[in-house]
Amino acid sequence: MATVSDSVFTGPVLYEGTRIPSPVPSWVQVDPARLEDGNVLEVNFGPNHPSTHGVLRLVVDLDGEEIVGMRAVIGYLHTGFEKSMEQKSWWKAINYPSRIDYLASFQNELLFVLAIEKLLGIEVPPKATWIRMALSELNRIHSHLVWLGTMGLELGVQSLYFYCFDQRERVLDLFEMVTGVRVHGRYCQAGGLAEDIPPGFVADARTFCRGMPKAIDEYEHMTQQNKMWQKRTKGIGVVSAEDAIRLGLSGPNLRGSGVNWDLRKREPYLFYDQIDFEVPVYEHGDSYDRARVRIDEMRQSLRIAEQCLDQIEGMGGEPWIADDRKVVLPPREELHTSMESLIHHFKIVTEGYRVPAGEVYVTIESPRGEQGCYVVSDGGPKPWRVHFRAPSFPTIAAAPTLCQEHLIADLIAISASLDPLMGDSDR
Amino acid sequence: MGFERIPGLIGEIEDRGETTVVVEKERLSEATLYLRDELGFNFLSDIAATDYLGWGGETAGSWGSADGRDLNVPYTLGLDLVPEPKPKRFSLSYHLLALRADPVRVRLQTWLDDGDAVASVVSVWPVADWLEREAYDLMGIVFEGHPNLVRVLMPDDWEGHPLRKDYPIGGEPVRFSGEE
Amino acid sequence: MGIADGKRLADYGLSSERLLMESKDPGAFEQEVAQLEQAVLATTLDKAVFWAQTHSMWPDTFGLACCAIEMMAVAGPRYDLARFGMEAFRNSPRQADLLIVSGRVSHKMAPPLRQIYDQMLEPKWVVAMGVCASSGGMFANYAVLQGVDRIVPVDIYVPGCPPRPEGLLEGIVRLHERVMAGIPPAYEIDEKIC
Repeated sequence: MATVSDSVFTGPVLYEGTRIPSPVPSWVQVDPARLEDGNVLEVNFGPNHPSTHGVLRLVVDLDGEEIVGMRAVIGYLHTGFEKSMEQKSWWKAINYPSRIDYLASFQNELLFVLAIEKLLGIEVPPKATWIRMALSELNRIHSHLVWLGTMGLELGVQSLYFYCFDQRERVLDLFEMVTGVRVHGRYCQAGGLAEDIPPGFVADARTFCRGMPKAIDEYEHMTQQNKMWQKRTKGIGVVSAEDAIRLGLSGPNLRGSGVNWDLRKREPYLFYDQIDFEVPVYEHGDSYDRARVRIDEMRQSLRIAEQCLDQIEGMGGEPWIADDRKVVLPPREELHTSMESLIHHFKIVTEGYRVPAGEVYVTIESPRGEQGCYVVSDGGPKPWRVHFRAPSFPTIAAAPTLCQEHLIADLIAISASLDPLMGDSDR
Repeated sequence: MGFERIPGLIGEIEDRGETTVVVEKERLSEATLYLRDELGFNFLSDIAATDYLGWGGETAGSWGSADGRDLNVPYTLGLDLVPEPKPKRFSLSYHLLALRADPVRVRLQTWLDDGDAVASVVSVWPVADWLEREAYDLMGIVFEGHPNLVRVLMPDDWEGHPLRKDYPIGGEPVRFSGEE
Repeated sequence: MGIADGKRLADYGLSSERLLMESKDPGAFEQEVAQLEQAVLATTLDKAVFWAQTHSMWPDTFGLACCAIEMMAVAGPRYDLARFGMEAFRNSPRQADLLIVSGRVSHKMAPPLRQIYDQMLEPKWVVAMGVCASSGGMFANYAVLQGVDRIVPVDIYVPGCPPRPEGLLEGIVRLHERVMAGIPPAYEIDEKIC
């Protein structure tokens, strides 16, 4: 485990030079000599396939079981988020980002709202920030649980799926308590949060945080002491730190290769610089280490969440959203007595608030890596341009580099350990 | 930071804590190599293309119009306040990160007209492969020197570049909305 | 009761809000099926076949987006799909009976969807899970197919974004009711769905 005072590049150099294929970095092309043998078969791991990342299509050239050529084809889940968001007012556009990375849905909407707040220059009350942090970390745990369950399914450790989804239900119960729905809560608002957290949330969240470490120990036992898991992931899909940075990998994929880089420590947002946690970094750069990083991250997320809950507990009656009436709806009671509040409410609901002109790029550390949001505003009530930097987009482009000279079964292990999500990469 | 020595530099903007460095599109290759090798920006986070067609006009949702305000049409109240005009139609922003112990972020920006081609940076940062394909696919910006510039998100036989402002939103009209 | 009192459901002696809703009496399901059966006039052998079809209708792994995660939750430990005999998600459409289209279908994905549907053997049913599959959902744009019923005939539409796992289960139970009553799968019904 490393802390922020340590250097960025821990760990040994895994291989000299680069293994990124040339001329096209995302396409391992078959060696012409192999083609002449006549043994190479082009197989389509089509958009519909047993692996549960979503609709990813991999075109793989196989010589027996060995992968000699590969490229990825995406776009089967392209939804046109960016154009749809340009048609809606700022308020309504917040609904869309949750669906981009649908496992870390709270973090996506948080990202967009952080961008709006940066453009507005509005200050968020501390209670809202602490709640946002707690929910972000619970969301991270949720994403990693689903990842672990599905990686287990793919590698043959099927019962892991049921154990992970059981805990996942508990996390979703917490989200349901706060936002009213299990996923896609649309709880973040420009200036804070839509509503206060309900009484009883802190107690229930603590119960969850107390019961979770034992579950994580179980998962570790089921994976890391599992010979099948070890054989299928150790030494598979090795990528060096230099190559990982060139390929645009981020998050656990980078930390599995010895790069001590976590945006929560290096470029802190929210209140991550005020709490205590560690960033797991492992140095072998293989699928085993990437998986280990995520499992350890779950433990650290629990630690962060508990510290946030400590803070929230002491903030009983404090505001959860900023006071700026031009952006935030006034409290309901005020509408009965104040004419100004009524006008503000009317203007915000019908026309929407206006965000000053400018462009910003905000990044957060999502469970998949560095997620970014580039927003251009023209000063009007609708966004001019919204662009999301999806961590899965370069990850899938990097998959062929990692899968070179491996077997088909390793392809499954590698793509599972990279944790791509098609909603994220296709937007 | 040393941004003054970037080849082709037109201007530097500091806004809301972010630095934007604007360069001429003809010298983009040199600028990217300088940024990567001399200033240490080893991580290309994102390539974002923006279409400014209609900027400052009606589609921008400006505060009001010269004809006055119509209470029945939203977004037409108040003064005529349009944002500053932009030099050309498209802006191409490269979001760079110096991934090291004291990280720095910068936005490298260049301006293009419709039909202009710009040099590809795949040889500088291999991650640009798919990022440039996406900008080509959705905005129609051509990258010279890209080894495989084909569509990545839309179907291969799609016509048009969806994220441009003159491309319709698509879908179908909803009953009882203004379009019928 | 509201959050303001600080009380929770357990303080009112309730374990779930569902108890506040009208529930069907025992035997209500069988009565409804009997009414439909009289309309359809199925033979005893037919009824036996329908019973068998309902009790092991295996879905195809056609998870596309967010709804897929909720579909996986339905197969998970809390909302157990195995009690319906449906936990065996077949990867090959040739072995599947039910296509749960869970998620937004982009125009690029539409041909593979139709191909998967064509590869399934009859009898086959389609559940459009979620609003994106039913009608395009919140994405009224160039990229998303505005409803999967434009390319495949759909039996059951389950609304929600995403529908709760209980919602999907309700959809599946209604599909079972339909089949038990003798209503043929959607491809045999000549209906224009707008």
